[in-house]
Amino acid sequence: MQLKAKKPNLKVMLTTASCALLGTTATVCAEETWQFDTAIMHYAEADRVSATEAIIAGTKTFKNDEILSLKLTIDALTGASPNGATAQPTPQTFTRPSGNGQYNVKAGDTPLDDTFHDTRVQLTGQWTQPLLKDYTVSVGGNFSKEYDYMSASLNGNVARDFNKKNTTLSAGMAYAYDVIEPEGGIPKPLSEMDVGDSNDPNFNDDFNKTRIASDESKSTIDLLFGVTQVINRQMIVQLNYSYSTVSGYMTDPFKIISSVNKNGESQAYLYENRPDERTKHAFFGQTKYHFDSGILDASYRYMTDDWQIDSHTFDFRYLIPFTNGHFIEPHFRLYTQSAAEFYQPFIAQDEAKPNFVSADYRIGELDTYTVGLKYGMPLGDGNNLSFRLEYYHQTPKDNGTQAIGVLKEVELYEQVDAIIVQVTYSF
Amino acid sequence: MKTIAIVMTALILFITHAQAKDSTSLQYKDVIKQYKGDVIYLDFWASWCTPCRKSFPWMNKIQQKYADKNFKVISVNLDAEPNLAKQFLASTPANFTILYDPDGSLAEELQLKGMPSSFIINAEGKIVSAHVGFTDKKKVNYEQEIEQLL
Amino acid sequence: MLIVNRYKVLVALSLVCSVVGMSGCSSLGVEPWERDLLAKKEMALTSAPIDASLDDHIYFSKEATSGGRSFGGGGCGCN
Repeated sequence: MQLKAKKPNLKVMLTTASCALLGTTATVCAEETWQFDTAIMHYAEADRVSATEAIIAGTKTFKNDEILSLKLTIDALTGASPNGATAQPTPQTFTRPSGNGQYNVKAGDTPLDDTFHDTRVQLTGQWTQPLLKDYTVSVGGNFSKEYDYMSASLNGNVARDFNKKNTTLSAGMAYAYDVIEPEGGIPKPLSEMDVGDSNDPNFNDDFNKTRIASDESKSTIDLLFGVTQVINRQMIVQLNYSYSTVSGYMTDPFKIISSVNKNGESQAYLYENRPDERTKHAFFGQTKYHFDSGILDASYRYMTDDWQIDSHTFDFRYLIPFTNGHFIEPHFRLYTQSAAEFYQPFIAQDEAKPNFVSADYRIGELDTYTVGLKYGMPLGDGNNLSFRLEYYHQTPKDNGTQAIGVLKEVELYEQVDAIIVQVTYSF
Repeated sequence: MKTIAIVMTALILFITHAQAKDSTSLQYKDVIKQYKGDVIYLDFWASWCTPCRKSFPWMNKIQQKYADKNFKVISVNLDAEPNLAKQFLASTPANFTILYDPDGSLAEELQLKGMPSSFIINAEGKIVSAHVGFTDKKKVNYEQEIEQLL
Repeated sequence: MLIVNRYKVLVALSLVCSVVGMSGCSSLGVEPWERDLLAKKEMALTSAPIDASLDDHIYFSKEATSGGRSFGGGGCGCN
């Protein structure tokens, strides 16, 4: 038996502190402690965007099975993102979204805009409690703020158990309101990017002619219906249908599309424009199966919307526990989507200007896959530590647009590699 | 002594893994026969059931409080592996009678609707009420019902 | 105790049954005292909510689809 001074248990100290505030006796309070989860994650694309995200989440169960859950998320984004223009066999110059300066792109390179350095803070709260016999209700809110973006949302849902809790039906609704206020304002859709010299005294006037507003907003309503069914002692299945409708500004104010001549040479860059309505339907199915010691988590999601994007997501995880309480969990995810009907990698100069167009590969035809591994270990006293390492690969694809002239010599659909590293400590 | 222990363990293992119900399964009438004349709080629990953990201190309290009034707390463990029950009892001690029903035969006989489940039985051996669940609110009701019978 | 054997035949009907409704599902499932495995944290439908929210943020930013998952059901079934 080791003779070690017992380290003060943070969870117990926090509980005693909050118990003192509530004026309850120590023995009663001992049952209701906070459960904390903290994590730090780093996402890094080769030569592109990097993000670091930190989360602190606390959950407390009260006397009559009510649960309060609070979460604080902070993330910071750096690096460069594609601006939507195509690569060219010659160097290119673009104006920064703020209008404060220009940046150059080398011949043959996919144009990347590195102006994005942003920090975001998000607060989430959720309250869940039983209501009458067999009903559970939950309400929550979410607030997120970064330099040029704000999002606020409310959600509520009710679940009802049947058949000795073998079947559960649930229905939920959420409403979100987002505001974007980009530095440099909202660009006039499909107008030409003013690629002049920011130091020129006339530049600001010319730049402002391409702006129509300082901010824009959008509203989202989500509905979710689900059924969970226990199949047997080892297996549970869930099926969900979700409906989502978005109304408002969904254009990316930082993205452009190259307008090219018959030889594929860029003549101008036009600001993209997306519809102001989007309706999505998603069907999701998941199963968890407990083998002799391993646990399989397999899910599939099909999404279809009125932008003509269809997607399929397959996700598999297999948890392998060891006798010492450690575990390893391999993970594999496969994703494929079809292009939005207004997606084009570029516009031909003499083509009739469409109402809506975007060259953002993230709404183009795209295949991605993720392979990863998670390793976890208990640290005693109910504390846990885990590590996650994942590799994420994106393959943007040709949606059928014929490359013309010099565009045949450049990479129009550049693949993206990213690494995800995460450490989680729960106590 | 060692041989007897091994034989007993083998016998217990054989019984708990038997597919068919046999005469060593717990049956309600046998349990009640033993305690006729007492008001009984019959509780069903398992090591994996969190509200069960919360109910133990209260069951200890009422067993002590009404011990001299012909009252008995009988709790039935439904773990398929008796080891898990023992681990639970090591961290959450019980000062009342514990019976083991690893094949769930008594649970099935009484048609439990949830976990934990409890039955309040009067001195004549008749089930007066059946309850599911344990919360701070519920325990007050249970205690009131017991007091009424004593 | 090994009541799970009786339900093997019904596993095949699981997906159809779940969609049809709860009356058709009264034959699927387990007794309240047979939820030892289902009560494990690892058997929760979202057993790692932190990982799920971090992943959701990544895929929401890099792909055109978001959401789909939900809440409710499974677990120890305790009251």
